[in-house]
Amino acid sequence: MAVGVHKEATNSQPGLARTGLSDLSIRNLFIIPTIAFLACMNIFPLIWSLFLSFHEWRANLPDEKAVYVGIQHYRDILNDPAFWQTFSLTAQYVLYAVVGELVVGFGVALLLNREMKAKGVITTLLLLPMMMSPAVVGLFWKLLWNPGWGIVNPIFGLANDYAWLSDANRALWAVVITDIWMWAPFVMLLSLAGLSAIPKHLYEAAEIDRASWWFTFRNITLPLVTPLLLIAIIFRTMENFKQFDMIFTMTGGGPGTSTEVHSIRLYRMAFQSWDTGKSSAFAYILLIMVIGISMIYIKYLNKIKER
Amino acid sequence: MNLLKKLTLGILALTISSALYAQKLTIFWAEWDPANQLQELAEMYTEETGVDVVVETTPWPDFQTKTFTEFAAKGSSFDMVVGDSQWVGAGVKGGHYVKLNDFFKEHKVAETMTAGTVAAYAEYPQGSKNYYAIPTEGDADGWAYRKDWFEDPKEMANFQKKYGYKLDVPETWAQLKDIAEFFHRPDEGRYGVTVYTGKGYDALTMGIENVIFAFGGSLGDYATYKVEGLVNSKETIAAVEYYKELYQFTPPDWGDTFFAEANQVFTQGKVAMSMNYFAFFPALTNKKVNPHVAGTGYFSNPKGPAGRFAALGGQGMSINSYISDSQKKLSYDFLAWFVKEENQRKWAEVGGFTCNKAVLESEAFLNATPFNAAFKETMFMVKDFWAIPEFADLLEPIQRNMHQYIVADQGTAKEGLDNVAREWKEILKKAGYTN
Amino acid sequence: MAAVVSKNNKLYNQLMVATVLVVTFIMLVPIYWIASTSFKSYNDSVSIPPTVFFEPEMTGVVKVFTKRTILRKDPSPAKLAKSAWYEKIIFKAGEKVLRASAFPSRLWNSIVICVVSTAIALMMGTFAAYAFSRFKIFGKDDWLFFILSQKMLPPMVVIIPIFLMYRTLGLIDSYSGMILIYTAMNLPFAVWLMKGFVDEIPIEYEEAAMIDGYTRFQAFWKIVLPQSVTGMAATSVFCFITAWNEFALALILAPRNVQTAPPFIPSQVGSGIPDWTAIAAGATIFLIPVMIFTFLLRKHLLRGVTFGAIRK
Repeated sequence: MAVGVHKEATNSQPGLARTGLSDLSIRNLFIIPTIAFLACMNIFPLIWSLFLSFHEWRANLPDEKAVYVGIQHYRDILNDPAFWQTFSLTAQYVLYAVVGELVVGFGVALLLNREMKAKGVITTLLLLPMMMSPAVVGLFWKLLWNPGWGIVNPIFGLANDYAWLSDANRALWAVVITDIWMWAPFVMLLSLAGLSAIPKHLYEAAEIDRASWWFTFRNITLPLVTPLLLIAIIFRTMENFKQFDMIFTMTGGGPGTSTEVHSIRLYRMAFQSWDTGKSSAFAYILLIMVIGISMIYIKYLNKIKER
Repeated sequence: MNLLKKLTLGILALTISSALYAQKLTIFWAEWDPANQLQELAEMYTEETGVDVVVETTPWPDFQTKTFTEFAAKGSSFDMVVGDSQWVGAGVKGGHYVKLNDFFKEHKVAETMTAGTVAAYAEYPQGSKNYYAIPTEGDADGWAYRKDWFEDPKEMANFQKKYGYKLDVPETWAQLKDIAEFFHRPDEGRYGVTVYTGKGYDALTMGIENVIFAFGGSLGDYATYKVEGLVNSKETIAAVEYYKELYQFTPPDWGDTFFAEANQVFTQGKVAMSMNYFAFFPALTNKKVNPHVAGTGYFSNPKGPAGRFAALGGQGMSINSYISDSQKKLSYDFLAWFVKEENQRKWAEVGGFTCNKAVLESEAFLNATPFNAAFKETMFMVKDFWAIPEFADLLEPIQRNMHQYIVADQGTAKEGLDNVAREWKEILKKAGYTN
Repeated sequence: MAAVVSKNNKLYNQLMVATVLVVTFIMLVPIYWIASTSFKSYNDSVSIPPTVFFEPEMTGVVKVFTKRTILRKDPSPAKLAKSAWYEKIIFKAGEKVLRASAFPSRLWNSIVICVVSTAIALMMGTFAAYAFSRFKIFGKDDWLFFILSQKMLPPMVVIIPIFLMYRTLGLIDSYSGMILIYTAMNLPFAVWLMKGFVDEIPIEYEEAAMIDGYTRFQAFWKIVLPQSVTGMAATSVFCFITAWNEFALALILAPRNVQTAPPFIPSQVGSGIPDWTAIAAGATIFLIPVMIFTFLLRKHLLRGVTFGAIRK
């Protein structure tokens, strides 16, 4: 793993002829638009929705006045068992998907980590799923999961009435498996980077000591790949926590609420029931959770970078 | 100038000029055959007047969301919308629909269209004589069935032996369930019945509604806004339980289905009876898609303890209030053309379910398709969901709770409906109808 | 030991390679399935058990590009002779073509919105990346953290206020609105990735140029930019793909006229019966650019998905 060298120019270099803009103004000119633009597009709207989350207001009746309700919405949501159910469902989905991606992705990376012909092409082919649009993936997996003319049941030798997406207990598994298909390549990519960076001489030394495969794996491979695997875990946790597209086009949250993760619930609250105030509060609760996860992620990313 | 530049400029010029000069009307509707039929009718209008009319569509499950997102944004990307019957209240209260009273007077719309459709698709509030839509597509739930299976002597004999009466088009919901059970043979790849179970929009609710009304249940009192004890009454609970019993005779993977899936298994010859809106039946007459055209028959909803009822579908065409005056003028012109009897006749010819009395009663209409007779019968027993502005809020809890009970198999009908009653009470109270 | 077991090792290795091939095959089956479904006839697409070998036809592809209605009576021979090839295909499916569907315009919307937003994000991102790479900035890490955190926001959380803001400004269903939101979505990514690339360019080059009398801006423009062309290409392809694939924001902010392809494709469910051939054709056409770009990008994928933190 090559880590970039980080160098800074000292701002003033006496003796250099300079007729154009000063470094200071170039710096400001280059940075301020970006910061200002992001603030306008994200921070300002978020302040607006913070305001809304303390009010009762419906976006489809824009002419009616917003009524201040204090923390009522937050209290309602946190006291609503349906919210906790959605939350636990999302947690389950994230957990199963991330563990699955880790196992499959790391496993495939171990297999791929050897001399072979056309390794580059095969690796790229394996990476295709993660570059696709989650919405379109969800859509065409809906076809694959169909018990009759889909391909999943015949491949696994299941009968043509073994329903997936309309069965409350299996729908989540179908979603998780699709997610694993799509994102295990991501874990694989990171694992491969980690594996190929392990110095060969470590393995040679282990071989001379007649160390078992398991011993080598536990004491050489795993510790050296772990940092990258952790990045993969945190990243996938965060992304799956935000998941909307794939599940929305595949099951729409159904059957019942058995795959209704909180992004979908939020969408229905905000744009079908038009309960704008309450959904803003819901959004804020999610926002705080995401900020928590992403803090860990960015901290960790920086740490990796510094090594 | 290189080729690429020329091409870009050419496209740009074309886009600008077409935007400036062409007169174009956009009508927004759901993705289904009637929308294609309306497009076909509109081509005739284009031929006569030179005004380009495009019928833009989006799938049923998100038609309502899409339209009201657009309205909420005061958007003008469509000139007219063929809005669902329950939307009238929301469309009017939000100020999204243009009032059409003068148009109604001038073109005698209320007199030429059937009273039921005018009341359900156009008028709000009920009885006010304020009109906001031109009844366009009359619709309600009915049934397609495998006539050839029903008339098979062997099946008839077996049925007679098992149930003690003659196998025929069911007269009551109880008979319908018997027939569904009789034909339900999963090991032969045959299933008894298809009913709506969709989670999106209103699919499941519209399916249950048929039974609820026939069983004497109710979705609440539309006049007094009372729901407690009605939506969770004994009769409503019985109806929902009955629907769940029917659900066990449906094909596999039947947990989130609507019209399209129903048509699909029907054309594959896997099901004996299929509930659907009449407007979805044209697909069954395409022999390239449905190999069983000859053996397909149609009937209207059977009787329940409280009588015969059918869930009303159907839509009226309304003008978007956020478009420019010139577009409004174009829209009025189109509507004026549309309501003429000769054009209503053409509408029926391309397959539209006209609401025009004279055309409906004509012999030609009754014989135009194999299902028009059943359709006409059904139009006299229709009943709709809530049509107040908050209908979408009311749909969400009933969809969620019923799907939870019927498909996900969690809880009981009573628990589900108690939840609905509780959530509805809250919504109606919040909206200021009750204290 | 290595020498002794080399034969065993070789066998083991071959076994592993075979396993890799099997895994690759399994991973690719879904993609093959969707691509092949677009060339199936309607009946093959919903046959039970599924059809693996079939006679390819263009019906699905034609369907996704056309609006059709049911053919109530067969066309006369004269009319049939006059029809275009695609009309004949549709006649055979028992339908008739009314006009072109919205699919080409949706693809065009996708292209316009993605290209323009990528260009803007790349430009602003490169400038900011250069500044962050070369200058002393108070609280630099915090600013970079702030920029990256914008990428972490769940779309469903920001969409409610953005929807309201856009409504007030009249940006719903407009190219500018979609371009703005996609720029905002890709900008943090562009900054981080470009910063990684700029960091790699030795600072000595610019210093030498400035000693030769270049201004700072000239040095940036004439030395740094040409050096980072690869980086800019990789970054823009990443931004393009991200925008191309985006669904949730487009679903709400571009409901109709400027709707992009991802929300459009699922809406092609067919009028009376779900027609998977048309949906599959739409999805396949939509996925082709992504596949091409993935191959072009293969050297930079790792870097891209980790925001430039890991370089290889």
